[in-house]
Amino acid sequence: MYLEIRILEKSSNRVKLYLKDIPLHVLNSIRRTMIADVPTMAIDTVVFTVNSTIFYDEYIAHRLGLIPLTSEAALEKYKPPEECREASERGLFTEDCFVKLDLEGENPPSSNSIITLYSGDLRTSDPDVKPVYDKIPIAILSPGQMISFEAYARLGRGREHAKWSPVSVAAHKFIADISIDNEKCRAPDCTDCINVCPRNILIIDNDRVKVSSDRIFDCSLCKVCEEACKYRAIKINWRKDEYILLVETTGALSPKRVLLEAIKVLESKLDSLVESLKMEGITK
Amino acid sequence: MLFPVRCFTCGAPIGHLWEEFKRRVEAGEDPGKVLDDLGVKRYCCRRMFLSHVEIAYELLNFPKVS
Ligand code: SF4
Ligand code: SF4
Ligand SMILES: [Zn+2]
Repeated sequence: MYLEIRILEKSSNRVKLYLKDIPLHVLNSIRRTMIADVPTMAIDTVVFTVNSTIFYDEYIAHRLGLIPLTSEAALEKYKPPEECREASERGLFTEDCFVKLDLEGENPPSSNSIITLYSGDLRTSDPDVKPVYDKIPIAILSPGQMISFEAYARLGRGREHAKWSPVSVAAHKFIADISIDNEKCRAPDCTDCINVCPRNILIIDNDRVKVSSDRIFDCSLCKVCEEACKYRAIKINWRKDEYILLVETTGALSPKRVLLEAIKVLESKLDSLVESLKMEGITK
Repeated sequence: MLFPVRCFTCGAPIGHLWEEFKRRVEAGEDPGKVLDDLGVKRYCCRRMFLSHVEIAYELLNFPKVS
């Protein structure tokens, strides 16, 4: 059985899909896996050698962690999050787990301006893993101030820290099923529902209230129109097993990759469940 | 302190947009329009820009004692 899938919107870091005949719990599992279990690269340990700026080491380390790093190639190249987490706890920053990003910055005492260090100034040991955006400020230095550090990035999952989550938005939503009872409706003398709808879903067409066909996916099911109707002529329901999935990534991975990786992770979890059942002799 | 790297609520990266936002608003453009232009749609992200105060630059005026 195939699902019906349509791409409603697509850009480099955002995709909106229409899905039909997918059960809600399956879609929700995929969505939650995207948020919490799809690995990306992020800075996790920072070693400061000099810091005479006005910022605490921890403050800068926190900012560094939040910078999205390109992870498309890193998923194959580096060891999985669980192994690398152990390595970092033991203080082993090995090349099969970690990418080193370093930065040295100084504002000479003779200068008379403030300088800003950006994410683009980070020097990376692996060109495949670099900041997605070059213009994120890391620190500002007044004359005479210096900073120097080495940062280590590794794969991680959103469930460990949100900085590893590949998505800023992963949401699914119902699609409205709006029925208008033309017997009860007093249009065009009444246009109350059209006036109150915050999403401009309803229109007047041939003296009747109609649902605008290209706006229907934007209905938020708020039911404000239902409340506004004095004659109980409009009814909001939702379509069964039809959903909209919206994914917006941080730039570390493409939306397509996030979706495919989520399915892969979910698959391997089910596989390991089956394996465990076999080990226990519950199934063959 | 500095403008945050991510939106506190949704986690979308916004740090790289601050300087352009600031430059254009100081040049007299309408903040709401600039945010639309930069693709900052949600109100959680928009308030990050509208409510930010650059305290770090004030702190730079004080000498360091340690
Ligand atoms: S439920 Fe809300 S968004 Fe949908 S048509 Fe009614 S008023 Fe508009
Ligand atoms: S508010 Fe009710 S009666 Fe008035 S136009 Fe809408 S559906 Fe018809
Ligand atoms: Zn936000």
